[in-house]
Amino acid sequence: MEKQAQTQIERRNPATVMRLSRLGSFHQCRLSFMRQLTRRMAREDWSFSRPVFDIDDAGVGTAVYTAQGPERAYSLVAFAHDLPPEKRSDRVIADAWDATFALFDGIPTEADIERLSKNVPLQEAGRVSETELSLSRANRSVRLWNHVVDSLASGQQPDLSQIHQVGYLMRTTAVYGSGKFGAADREKVADRPETQAPFQVEMLSVYLTRTFVRDLVQHMAAVKGGDQAAKLDPDVARWLGIGNSTGLGMAPFIVNHPVLFNNWVMVREEALARVRSVETASTAEINKFQELFQRSQLSISWWRSEHPIQVKKLADLNADLRAISEYLTTDRLANPHPWDRLIRWSETALTEEGQEYLASLVLEPYEDLVDGLASCMADSRSEAFVIDGTMSIRNVRALIQETHGWALGLDWTAPENCARAWYVSEEKLEPRMGERFEEPIENYEQPLAPARDACAAYSALSDWEGAQTVAEFLLRHPEHRHTIRRAQVARTAPYGEIRDNTISDKVLPIDMLRAKLSFFGATHFDPRSDRWVRICMYAGAPYPEELTSENADLWVYPQATA
Amino acid sequence: MNLSLNEIEATAKRATRGAGYSWGQAEEAGKATRWLCAQGLDGAGILARLLALGFATDPANHRPQQLDGRWRAEGDLCPLSVGPLLSDTARLLDAGAIEMQPVVAPALLLPFVSNAARIQKCALQIEFDSVQAVTDGARLYSPDDFPDKAQRVTIKKGAKLDMPREHQSRAHPTPTDWDALNQFAHHTYAPATEESRLLGAGAGLSDND
Repeated sequence: MEKQAQTQIERRNPATVMRLSRLGSFHQCRLSFMRQLTRRMAREDWSFSRPVFDIDDAGVGTAVYTAQGPERAYSLVAFAHDLPPEKRSDRVIADAWDATFALFDGIPTEADIERLSKNVPLQEAGRVSETELSLSRANRSVRLWNHVVDSLASGQQPDLSQIHQVGYLMRTTAVYGSGKFGAADREKVADRPETQAPFQVEMLSVYLTRTFVRDLVQHMAAVKGGDQAAKLDPDVARWLGIGNSTGLGMAPFIVNHPVLFNNWVMVREEALARVRSVETASTAEINKFQELFQRSQLSISWWRSEHPIQVKKLADLNADLRAISEYLTTDRLANPHPWDRLIRWSETALTEEGQEYLASLVLEPYEDLVDGLASCMADSRSEAFVIDGTMSIRNVRALIQETHGWALGLDWTAPENCARAWYVSEEKLEPRMGERFEEPIENYEQPLAPARDACAAYSALSDWEGAQTVAEFLLRHPEHRHTIRRAQVARTAPYGEIRDNTISDKVLPIDMLRAKLSFFGATHFDPRSDRWVRICMYAGAPYPEELTSENADLWVYPQATA
Repeated sequence: MNLSLNEIEATAKRATRGAGYSWGQAEEAGKATRWLCAQGLDGAGILARLLALGFATDPANHRPQQLDGRWRAEGDLCPLSVGPLLSDTARLLDAGAIEMQPVVAPALLLPFVSNAARIQKCALQIEFDSVQAVTDGARLYSPDDFPDKAQRVTIKKGAKLDMPREHQSRAHPTPTDWDALNQFAHHTYAPATEESRLLGAGAGLSDND
């Protein structure tokens, strides 16, 4: 029976979805940008090569990895460095790294590589050009790197449990795209099929980086162990992902791109509504769900964090997993609208971790209902930015009420409600958050408290006649211009606005980071503080030479080996 | 210099905020400067010269007092006030031409006229004294250079767009103008303190693990 994308079940209410604690509980799903990329590369039979691998015995040198798609090639140009430990920092303010990279649009000439060698290792202090699509860097996980090099050098395979605990040999500490530091603007690639979806350039860069890191660790083991060095077993190598270490920069991103962020969340909500509207599940669909439920638990068992917030969330998630198991022994998904029943049950029985885990997992059996939505995740509506000046004061007040009604009663002068301020430091322009009443930062505050600003605009609008226009109001009050724009954007982007206080004394920026990273497809969120998180990418994924349509999608769910 | 349009937009936005304009105007100044550069015009230089005038310290003096009749202010009109207003009130063009006087850095009006053209779904003509330009939203017909100040600006419907400018994917500001924008942008950056260095980004843990 052919499935129709009929949705009797509505999307979840933005007022529910867009709370920070829920955003901070999001999990990857089949719409994630990494999985979109690996599915496409397998489907289109991309080929991969390593035209340059010129690394010396100290681990210093250059390598190039080329991914050839149906119409175009992309090349990762990698520079390996010998980094003293005291220089190893994941922060923006670092100025040296274990490895640095650029993703080149096409196949670089020797002159291109020479030019990049003078700039890419400097990262923000260098310049790249319109032929480069991204600029990035990575640092080693010192303990796992040493363990893998030492094991292989002595002829042994590394210990899998140590690999699962760390998850990666190197973690990227920034992947800059979209015109940063001279690279090509997003517009250059936005109309290409393979890069139309968000962050495909960055995801490809990280995918190739993972291969480079595997090859580099093998090279270093061979240098150290000589003839007795072992070759890294592919079944072990597959569990090596690439880490990512992320600070506050990502939080402003989702506030500053409300249409784009809306599209990600709305597409996932639409996918969920479609699946919940399925009347009966086939045996194959139920089996697929059951299988991936089992496999995902193995991945979750490797998820480590020492941060108290995440320790608690992991305990919640594990309790939720047990509750889901019990539910499935009685319900068996054989009743009408099985997925809707499951989701409704989860809303009464599980924490937000478990609810969002299920909201992602139930999408898995429904490739035909879900995957086509991926084409709606980019932001191609630049006209949404333009304010409709003809709108009446009455209507714009109603829009603010609709999105920020929860905030209108808050006392925004109370210290606990505005304790924090977001700012950019002059030191390498690092995004930071500080204490408004304790540090001299308020004059530098970034507009990252849309709810507070909406309440201020709402108050100013109350002095105006309902029939007057937004244009008249904004002529006198340009200070509310960004807020009126956001209120109007929310008409078509209802999931673009966080329905929570982003400057309260209790705000956890890691919630915003996790929301964004979950759409990349990240797993194993490991907060290092309330404003810093490490994650794992591509662990379990096939390497380029292994990639097939059979393994291109579900690699995120590990299969227990016998 | 050879910059991406994203760099132009980001720096123009910060510079405009650093010069004292509202965040909303700064966002639009960023997009406007980018649009000018994409048309091969010197967006960075035009914005830098405007910001140097310091109009943001006295905004009421540089925006129209009323929308009826010709737009004028006590002082010269600021394009970052009348430009957004023009975009907001594009429908007024149905009733006839919009006139204003005098406007500094009038080239910065062009991106806002392009917004109005998109809203009106037709090409619009803009006259700066004796200089003429036409835009239909995406495309622009215009000379390469514009006066620093137009005594009189008129925007009206009924134009035809011939010979549009070639779109550019990169911008080439002079180092002097780029430095000027970065100096304004610098006003938005908080001076680094040891406390903020340690706490503000949430690190402080060793990354040698």
